[in-house]
Amino acid sequence: MSGPKLRKALVLLVSAGLALVTGCAGDGDDSAGLPADQQNSVAGGSGSGDGIRLGILGQCEGPFGGFHEDVVAGTTLALARFAGATPESSTSALEGFSGAEVAGTPIELVGIGCGDDTADRVVQEVRRLVEQLGANVIIGPLSGDEGIAIAEYAKSNPELTVLAGISGSQEQTLQVQAPNYFRFYGDGAIWNAGLGDLLHNEEGWDTVAVIADDYSFGHTSAAGFIADFCGVGGKVTHRVFPPLGTTDYSSYIAALPGPDEVDGYFWAVGGTGTQAALEAFVNGQGDLSGDQHAGNLFFNPDLAQALGTDIAGAYVGGFATLPADVRTPEIEEYLAAADETWESIPGSLSGNEPAPPSVAAAFGFFYGYYTAGVALVEGLEAVGGDVSDLDAFHEAIAGLTLDLPYGEISLDENRSGIVDVGLSRLALDDSGNVVQETVAIVPGVDQTFGGTFSPDTPSPGRDFPACEERELPWEGNAIPVVDGVPQS
Amino acid sequence: MKLREHLTGETLALAGLVLVLALLPSLATAFFVNFVMTQTLILGLAAATIVFLAKYGGMTSLAQLLMFGIAGFMFGNAALDGGARGLNLGWHPWAAVGFAILVTTLVAFVLGAVASRTTGIYFLMLTLVYGVVGYFVFAQIVEISGPGGITSIQRPELLGPPVRLYYAGLLLSVLAYAGFRMLGRTAFGLALQGVRDDPVRMASLGFNVPLHRALAFTLAGFVAGLAGLLNVWWNGQIDPASISIGPTLILLIIAVIGGMSSLAGAWLGAFVYVLVLTYLRDLPLVDRIGITEARFNTVIGVIVLVIMVLSPEGLTGIVQRLRGTTRKELGGIRP
Repeated sequence: MSGPKLRKALVLLVSAGLALVTGCAGDGDDSAGLPADQQNSVAGGSGSGDGIRLGILGQCEGPFGGFHEDVVAGTTLALARFAGATPESSTSALEGFSGAEVAGTPIELVGIGCGDDTADRVVQEVRRLVEQLGANVIIGPLSGDEGIAIAEYAKSNPELTVLAGISGSQEQTLQVQAPNYFRFYGDGAIWNAGLGDLLHNEEGWDTVAVIADDYSFGHTSAAGFIADFCGVGGKVTHRVFPPLGTTDYSSYIAALPGPDEVDGYFWAVGGTGTQAALEAFVNGQGDLSGDQHAGNLFFNPDLAQALGTDIAGAYVGGFATLPADVRTPEIEEYLAAADETWESIPGSLSGNEPAPPSVAAAFGFFYGYYTAGVALVEGLEAVGGDVSDLDAFHEAIAGLTLDLPYGEISLDENRSGIVDVGLSRLALDDSGNVVQETVAIVPGVDQTFGGTFSPDTPSPGRDFPACEERELPWEGNAIPVVDGVPQS
Repeated sequence: MKLREHLTGETLALAGLVLVLALLPSLATAFFVNFVMTQTLILGLAAATIVFLAKYGGMTSLAQLLMFGIAGFMFGNAALDGGARGLNLGWHPWAAVGFAILVTTLVAFVLGAVASRTTGIYFLMLTLVYGVVGYFVFAQIVEISGPGGITSIQRPELLGPPVRLYYAGLLLSVLAYAGFRMLGRTAFGLALQGVRDDPVRMASLGFNVPLHRALAFTLAGFVAGLAGLLNVWWNGQIDPASISIGPTLILLIIAVIGGMSSLAGAWLGAFVYVLVLTYLRDLPLVDRIGITEARFNTVIGVIVLVIMVLSPEGLTGIVQRLRGTTRKELGGIRP
């Protein structure tokens, strides 16, 4: 037999053999009985009753890589406070913890997933945690697109229980609706609820131009503001979407109307873009007047370093926690507990240098993972530590109302948080520095915005939602906050 | 050549390897088969198209991951029905497969035709441009990419259980490997190698040089598209970040780790990449010397550097050299 012919014969033989194997596996039942032929098996399975095998999904690379310590510390703090966990290290949460137990059920940390802000990577990380390390409960993920991918993963793996970390996309609960995926915090849209009401009804803004990052979180964040501002009767005249990672915003600023053409501007530009975009605004449209600007959670007092104190007066949307001026006894207790649990944590807010853990704990990334940890503990308590009946366990979690330091959180029918949103304003303190002051707390905000968003509506995008007036459940219900004290 | 000559050496070793891989689901854990090996086969198949173009056509392409992505996106758009993302055409899965492969192959032909008059660094740069432009096309035209990616992509029923996806990957890998090897011996393959070595002489002999290059690029695009389909079935979703510059370079790195002159090296490179990605952090004490999962790219970079220094032919180069040394020592050099 000549060379090529022999090769052909060999190839045909091997291919036929493989096709046969694939084909046989294709007949009848869904299992060929091979060890590898299990539908995304959850090893151990929470149904087997040998405790909680916990995996935490964070990000150690990418734009939020700096928050890796923060998020793992968040969950660890919840388990240290309410499940008796002891961190393995007093200066880092990434070393893990031991001794966690709720109602006789041990909680073991099997692994920490390392995402890089892409959905592809986080799916691979969760598969490693679940399929290799046998996790049956996942806490995480951190960012928007990851949340959708993990919710889908949860949907196709019903034996798993997922408590979302701080991922802010709307669809992960509103559209995916996985029965085993729970989110004990708001989403990117929720965090801007009440801001439009405040600007339209109290500051007298009738028209606004919106500028937002052209990706899911930017869209969602802008969508929340637009739904709220238009809901109470305002008009959005311009929507400008610069791509994420833009460095020169001048052409996008040129697309905005001048300061005398609209009442104000709403900015949902994050990361390094916030400052760059505002600087481009000063260069392109003239001086900045804080009264004419509002931003989502990316607005903060540090902007004054480059923009000067003119930024004072700008309103800022909420996040999972409240600005530092609100200090209730519950918040004090929570922050003190963080400081007792570790000597220091190299969190993102301290530039990943060792700092008191309360610095990280006061910010939303840490707190989102903390609320998930508390939900796990209370869910286990509700079923007496018995997770053999997963449906009962999931039902118990879905029915929880958590009394948390920054406000009470319960879940809607899609297992997404109904939360209180804290709105704030950049203001000058007595020494002339720009600080962030809480101005109002909007209670009981849910995902739907009175019907603007539903499982049947498209994902927030460049054109969605349209600007329409509608009843908002929280219109006029905002609780004013004066000097850090809610006036309820 | 005689049968006996073929049944010794490389062919036999590869046949044995395929047999082991075919039996692997009975031997290894579900995670190793469904995650590590399935991903290896998918990435290997895609990287093999880079090696094919480089080995037979002298073209180093950075556009293969784009083809991989186009197939995935097209399948997602065509097969999904009623979600919030993509075109939601709701076609039968196999019709969607045909559509995805057709679009990918057509795009590959057009892009290949445009690039066919360039060589060397210019070809590399041009295909890099394809990759970057392709990424922005999917990132900006959200109607075909989500917005934010296409999720909830289901496999056709035939490939339901994960182990069947593994076998599909193995089958396609074997076919691609053998197909590329056989193609190298056909008139087209020989002409392509002639084009690689001396395009001017081939042109003066009457061969249509650009056409040969364009057709090779089309074939590579077709195979990369098959890998892309396996990938969306395996991963369940695809978004523009899946085909951004980072993953594009990773695919080239996989081909370099394995060795750009060896087709089998593509799968070897993919295996090493997936192993490092999955298991490096589990090694005892490895985090004590600062190699945590966050340092993964550094480790891959060091591996590439070491391989480039020790053996520009990649891991297969090292394997061949070791074999050569052993033969010399045993005095078994073939006449």
